[in-house]
Amino acid sequence: MTEQKLQKFICTNCGYVYDPANGDVMSHVPPGTAFEHLPEGWVCPVCYVTTDQFDPVD
Amino acid sequence: MKPALASLYQAIELRQPIPPLLIGERMNANGSKRFRDRLLADDWAGCVEIGVEQEKRGAHVLDVCVAYAGRDEKHDMLELVRRLAGTVKLPLMIDSTTPEVIEAALQIYPGRCIVNSINLEDGGAYLRRVCALLKKYGAAAVALTIHKGGMAMQAPEKIATARQILDIACGEFGMRPQDLLFDALTFTIGAGDETLRDSALQTLEGIRGIKAALPGVGCVLGLSNISFGLAPASRKILNSVFLHEAVLAGLDAAIVDAGSILPLAKIDVADRETCHNLLFDKHTDADKKPLTLFIEHFQAKAGTTPEKANADAEAKKPAEIALTDRIIEGSKEGLEDLLEILMRRMPPVEIINRILIPAMREVGELFGRGELLLPFVLQSAEAMKRAVTLLEPHMPAVQEGHATKILLATVQGDVHDIGKNLVDIILTNNGYKVFNLGIKVPAEVIIEKARELKPDLIGLSGLLVKSALVMKESMRQYREAALGAPILLGGAALTRKFVALDCAPDYDHPVVYCADAFAGLQAVRDFEAGKLRSTTFDTAGAAPLKPGLKNLEIDRNQPVPAPPFLGFRHVRDIPLAEVFPYVNTEALFRGRWGYRRAKLTAEDYEKILAEKVRPLYARLQHDSVSEGLLQPQAAYGYFRCFARDDEVVVRDGQNEYVFGFPRQGAPPHLCIADFFKTEAEGGDIAGFFVVTIGAQLGERTQKLFESNQYHDYLMLHGFGTEVTDALAEYWHAVMRHELGIAGSEPATKAGFVTQDYQGSRYGFGYPACPDLGAQLPVFALLKPDALGITLTENMQMVPEFTTSAIVAHHPQAKYFAV
Repeated sequence: MTEQKLQKFICTNCGYVYDPANGDVMSHVPPGTAFEHLPEGWVCPVCYVTTDQFDPVD
Repeated sequence: MKPALASLYQAIELRQPIPPLLIGERMNANGSKRFRDRLLADDWAGCVEIGVEQEKRGAHVLDVCVAYAGRDEKHDMLELVRRLAGTVKLPLMIDSTTPEVIEAALQIYPGRCIVNSINLEDGGAYLRRVCALLKKYGAAAVALTIHKGGMAMQAPEKIATARQILDIACGEFGMRPQDLLFDALTFTIGAGDETLRDSALQTLEGIRGIKAALPGVGCVLGLSNISFGLAPASRKILNSVFLHEAVLAGLDAAIVDAGSILPLAKIDVADRETCHNLLFDKHTDADKKPLTLFIEHFQAKAGTTPEKANADAEAKKPAEIALTDRIIEGSKEGLEDLLEILMRRMPPVEIINRILIPAMREVGELFGRGELLLPFVLQSAEAMKRAVTLLEPHMPAVQEGHATKILLATVQGDVHDIGKNLVDIILTNNGYKVFNLGIKVPAEVIIEKARELKPDLIGLSGLLVKSALVMKESMRQYREAALGAPILLGGAALTRKFVALDCAPDYDHPVVYCADAFAGLQAVRDFEAGKLRSTTFDTAGAAPLKPGLKNLEIDRNQPVPAPPFLGFRHVRDIPLAEVFPYVNTEALFRGRWGYRRAKLTAEDYEKILAEKVRPLYARLQHDSVSEGLLQPQAAYGYFRCFARDDEVVVRDGQNEYVFGFPRQGAPPHLCIADFFKTEAEGGDIAGFFVVTIGAQLGERTQKLFESNQYHDYLMLHGFGTEVTDALAEYWHAVMRHELGIAGSEPATKAGFVTQDYQGSRYGFGYPACPDLGAQLPVFALLKPDALGITLTENMQMVPEFTTSAIVAHHPQAKYFAV
C-alpha cells in the first residue's frame, strides 16, 4: 500500500499553510484531513478568510 | 570640416552621400512596447539588443528615449548609454527634455552625440540651458520648430522659428549651423482632420525654406507621424513616399523604423500616385477626398493581392479578431489603427457592444476558470479603457443612459478603497456606468446620491470589522429611504453567513455577498437577467465551528520583562534593508497581486514567479528606494499597565488611559485583557507602536488609478500594503529584542505568520480589537503627530499606509477573533 501525499494549501491573504499531515488542532481538524475535506465553515486559523482564498503550494 | 557624429568605433557624417541619415526610433519607451517592457523589467541586455537589431536593419544613428512615468529617467539613461557605448557601433541620439539627463549622458558618452531636442516653447530659457551644454560637450542637436505660441503649422512660421533658434544657438552660444538639424514637424494626414489637410505640403515647404534661408543647417523629420491613424500596410508605403519627397525638398535625416522604409522602386505606380494625391492634397475625384480614395485603394489592394497581405500577417488578420486578441492579451499596441479600420465598417457603439464587451466577458470567464490571473485582467481592462477612450470622441453623447448604473462607496469610517476600485475597473470596462463616491461615505450621503443618480444597483465596500457592522446597521436606513435598488456587499471582514443572516433580512430588496470583483460583475448580470436574489446561508448544514473547545487557562505567573525605557520614542530613517526581509511575499504575490497558482502546475507557477513576479517585486523595491517613495518611521513606547476585567488600564505619568477589549462569546472566551496581570498580581507592561511608510507611495498609487494605469496601481498598492505590514512585523521584532523576550524567534517566514515567537500584537480595527476608538489613547501615548501621522474624525490614520498595535509579551497571547 502506498500512501499518497496530500496537497498542501496556502492562505493567499496571510501566508498560513494548511498541511494535511498536521490538520488544524485548534479547530479540531485531525491530522490526515485533505484540504477538500475540511469541515464546512472552516476558516484560516490566522486571518479567518474562507477556503476559496487558498492556493495549492508545495 | 564635415559635421559628423562619433561612437567609440566610428564616425558617421551628418550629411550622408546618399541622404537621408537614418535614425532608428525603436529604443523609445513611449513609442515601442517591446522596448518599454524590457526597460520596465530592467532587462538591459534586451534593450541593447533592440539597438543591435536596428543597426542590422540599416540605421546610422540610434535614438534613445527612456523617459517613462514612474521611472528614474537619469538612472535609466546612464545605464543604457553606458551599455550601448560599449556594444553598438553606431553613435547615439540622446532623446530627452530634461537638461540634467542630457548633461549626464553627454558626460559619460565616449564620442559625439546628437541631442533630441531643443525648441523655443518656453521662449528661450530651456533652449539656452541646453545650448550651453551642447557647446560645453560639443554635441549636435535636433531643433523642433515650436515657439511660444505652440507648434509651427504653416511653412513661413516654421522658417521664422528656425531662424530664431539659429540666432540664439549660433549667435549667443557659438554653435555651428551645420550641427543643427531642424525638424519642421510632421502632422498626420490620415485622421481626416480638415485643418491638417495640407500639412505635408507645409512641412515640405518648411524644409525647402529653412535650407534656403539658413545656409549650412540640416533638416530632420520624425517620419511616421504623417500616416498616424491609417492601416499598417498602407502606412509603410505612405511613409516611404513621403520620405522620398522630403529628401527631394532637402531633408538630411529621418527618425524612422529603419527596416520599414521601402525603396521607391519597389512601390508600384498606382500606389505612388495615390500617396502623392494625399500628400499634396490633390483632388482627382469630384465626390471623394484624397484620403477616402487612399483608404479605398489600399483596402481593395489588401483584398486582391494576397502575397502583399501575407507579408504582414498582422494586417491580414480580420480587425475584429485582432481587436479581441488585443483585449484578451491586454495589449494596447496598434489599437488606434484597428479602431480606425473598424470604424469604417461599423459605428463605435457597435465596436463596443459586438467586439470589446464580448472580449472582456471572455477575460472574466478565463479569470473565473483560473486561466487568467488578476494582473493580466487589469492589463486587459487598461486596453479596454484605452479603446473606449479612443472611440468616445466619435460617439454621440446621447448614447449613454441605457447602460446599467451602479453606485459604489466605501462605507463610513473606512478608508480602504482598493477593493471598491477594482470593482469600479471591472464594471466600467464591461460597459457599465459606475458612480464611485469614494471612501468614508456616510449612509446619509449614499441615500442622497442614490436619489439623485438613480442607480440600478448599489455596491458597498469596507475592509474593517467595524465596516461589516456599519453595513448591517445601515440596512434599515436604506429600507426606510425606499432606495429600491439591490445592494451588493464586499469586503475582507464579510462572510456569506453574515450577509445572509445579519444584513439581508433588514432590507426589502436583494442583498448579495460578493467575494471578489467578478462576483460583483456576475451579480450585475444576474440583475439584468432578472434573477438576482439575496445571498442565503443554510444554518442547518453548518456544524458549530469549534465544538468542544474549553476555556484557555492563562498562566498568571508569567514574569514581566523589564522595558528598556518607559514612555514613547520616535524613530525616523528606519533602514529599508532591515524591513524588506520581513515582507510576506506569499501574501503579496498570491493575495495582494493575484498571482495565484490556482490550476497551474508547480513548474508553470514557478516559471511565472521567476519571469514576471519576482522581477516586478525587485523593480518595485529598487524604484521605491531610488525615488524616495518609502519613508519608514515608527512611534513606539512601553507603559505600566494592569488588567481590570475586560480592560487594560495604561499609566503614563499622571495620565491614565483605559482600553476596553471585547471577549469571545464562545469558548475559549478569550479577551486581550487576559494576557496582562491585574493590579493585585503586581501590574504589567504594555507596548504600543504606530508605524508608517509615509505619504508618497499613497499619492503615487492615487495618480496611477486616476490615469487608468490599473495594473501598476494594483501592483504598487499591494506592495505598499505588504511593506507596511513588514514594517510592523520588523518593529514588533525590535520590541521583543528590547524586552529581552526574543529567545525563540522564527527561523522561516512561515513562522512569523503563525507567530512562533513570544507574545503577540493586535491591530486596532482587526478581529481581536475591532474598536477603532482605541486609536485616541494610542495617539495620546505615542504622539505620532510629530511624524506627520494624524487621525481622521473616523479614527482612520493618515497616511493610508500606516498601522498601529498593542504589543503583549505573554507567551499565550496569539491572534484570535471575537
